[in-house]
Formats: sequence, structure tokens, C-alpha cells
Amino acid sequence: MLKELTYEEQTRITRAIIKAAVLMLEFGAESKLIETTTQRLGVALGVDSVEISLIPSAIVLSTLSNNQSQSVTTTRRAHHKPINMSIVCDVQKMCHEVEKHKHNVEFVFKTMKEIQPNYYNRWLVVFMVGLSCASFAYLYGADWQAFFTTFVASSVAMFVRQELAKRKFVMIITFGITAFVATIIAGLSQVFNLSSTPSIALSASVILLAPGFPFVNSVLDAVKGYLSMGWGRWMQAVLLTLATSIGMILAMALLNIKGW
Amino acid sequence: MTSIILNFFIDAIFAAIPAVGFGMVFNVPKHTLIYCAFGGAITYSSRTLLLDMDIQIELATFLASVLIGFIALYWSRKYVIPRPVYTIASIIPLLPGTYAFTAMIGLIDMNSHGVTPELIAIFVENALKTITILGGIGFGLALPTLYFIRYNRPIF
Repeated sequence: MLKELTYEEQTRITRAIIKAAVLMLEFGAESKLIETTTQRLGVALGVDSVEISLIPSAIVLSTLSNNQSQSVTTTRRAHHKPINMSIVCDVQKMCHEVEKHKHNVEFVFKTMKEIQPNYYNRWLVVFMVGLSCASFAYLYGADWQAFFTTFVASSVAMFVRQELAKRKFVMIITFGITAFVATIIAGLSQVFNLSSTPSIALSASVILLAPGFPFVNSVLDAVKGYLSMGWGRWMQAVLLTLATSIGMILAMALLNIKGW
Repeated sequence: MTSIILNFFIDAIFAAIPAVGFGMVFNVPKHTLIYCAFGGAITYSSRTLLLDMDIQIELATFLASVLIGFIALYWSRKYVIPRPVYTIASIIPLLPGTYAFTAMIGLIDMNSHGVTPELIAIFVENALKTITILGGIGFGLALPTLYFIRYNRPIF
């Protein structure tokens, strides 16, 4: 027989669980993962069951305890932040530890307070993203001049993106400005006839802005039965693509080049 | 013949680089980067092989995603890491980024320069390719999980 929970204890457990859920939603976990993690965390902390309702901008979560006779419900707003998988991994790891070692709710609060995003060295990221987009250009069949143009354009764009992210701009603005910068630099190679395949450089240098995570998550959510989350993430991805396109259009209009 | 195989491996390496680069953008834990690299190489190479067999790009993408979905299922059980960490970085080389941006630019062009049949054709072709390829990736990645989900409540 489980021991009876008082209302205050259960409220505290509920707060811990929803904090974990909000962390996962904000940093881009898929809905199925959020639901299973919260339910397992809840059972490990001693409530009977956890029911969760997800919409793209908020979470509603109920816990039931004392033989389903006592219920606590709470709601939190979620503000979407740039994807950060290491935080999602840490929350899941914490859930496993709570299950394994029967930790209490204080452990959960303490661990979540101490979660640090695993940031890579920013210059390493700039270099690797530049190289990634240049590799795309290679795979699309670019020549070496276009390869290096793409490398420079997307490295600078990634630097700009990091600077904007550091100043906590909305993602739409970040994506628009980054696309503008990347297209300006890649477009200069077309204006000065540096390469014989300038259009590949133009399209490859903005690949760093392709919203792969929201698009894939949206399909994954939808097929697993979270239809409203699927639509929400789809809309988010379309908005980001639109912002990127507007940035590119502006840059192309400025350089007076047309399409690819 | 050797040059074809050599090219194949060079392409695989150039597909592994974006998987690692984007893994860093998504801040995946450090020890998973090597798996992202392998995943990117595996998905891109398998899709190239399938495309060489004259299979349509949508179907080839779907099959490559199914492959990485099952491989990631194995990895995630072994190291207790959520699967999207491996899968999404691995499918980055398959993403229809160029199609998506071309479609959007076609749409904006139609608004500013007037609608012409060519622009409509560009928009519809690229948007269809984007949606079908993305659907292929999504279904491919979801398939291993969908197989394990069962309706676990009795029907009254």
C-alpha cells in the first residue's frame, strides 16, 4: 500500500513534473517523449497516474493520487527556444535516475536547477556549420569556388545567428536576418562572376536555416496521435521558412539578381 | 569501377560532415556526435544507392529513413538517449531544403511580379516535392515506434 499524500505534497510533485515537461517542450522534444517521461516520473515520485494535455504554447497536467481520489491540475505557458537536445537528454536521464534510485521530489528540483546546456565552443560551431553547408554545395555538384563561397557565407551567417540568439531575439527575426546576410555574401560571388555554379552557392549557404527539427517533429507528432501539436509545429516550421525566404528575397533585390 | 566506389565513400564523408555540424547546432551530447556522423553517412549512401536503382526520390528517402529509424532504435536502447538525437541529425542530408526555399520564393514572386503559368508550375512542383519528401522522412522515422505502439485499453 502506498502512503497517503497530502495535498501540499502532491502539489509539489505536480510542480516538479510540469517543470520537467515544460523544459522538454521548450527545447524541442517530441510529444510522445514528453508524455511518457512525465508519466514515468510521476509514478516514480509516488502519484497514481499523470494525465497530460499538450498544445504548442502550453501544457495542462493533472496528477491523481490516494487511490485516484485526490487530483491536482496545473497549467504552464511554454516559450519556444532554440533546439537544445542536451537539456532534453538530461531531463530524461534524471527521470531514469529517479526511477532507479527512488529519489524524492527535492532531488528533481535540485537536478533541474543544475542542468547546464552543453554548449560547444562557438568558433568550432561556426567552422563546422560553414563546412556543413559547403559539403552540401559539394553534394549538389558545385565547383571549388562555389564551395569556398558557401563556406564563408554560411560561417558568417552562423556567427550572426549566434549573436542574435545571444541577444534573445525571436527566432523569426533571427532567421530572416541570417538568411539576408548569407544570401548577400553568396550573391556577391555571382555579381563578381567568381564561380561557374553561383546558384548552388546561393541555395546551399542558407541550408543552415532549414527548420528540420520542427518539420520532422511535426510529422512524428501527427502520426503518433498528437494532431494539434503536429499542426503547431508545422506552422512554426512554415513561418521560419517564410522568414528565411523574405531575408533571401530582400538580399537578392538589393544585389539585383533574380532567383537561381 | 574503383573510381565509382571512391566517389561513393567521398560522398558519404561529405554527408557525415553536415550531420555532425547540425548535431552541434542542436547541442546533442558530445558522445553522440560520432553516431550522428555514421547516421548521416548511412542515410545519404543508402539513398544514393536506391536512387541509382531508379527508385523515385520520395520512396528512396522513405526507405533510407526507415533504415536509420531501426538503427537508432538499437542505439537508443543501448545508450539510453532519446532517438531524435540520433535520427534528426542523421536525416539532415536528406532534407529538401532547396525545394522548400524555391517553392517559397516562387510564391513571393507570384505576389510581386504577377501570376504566370511558369511560376505556378515552379511553386507546385517544388512544394509537392518538399511535402512528399518530408512525409517520407517523417513516416520512415516514425515506423519503428508505430510498430511498437499498441492500443492497450480494452474496448467496451
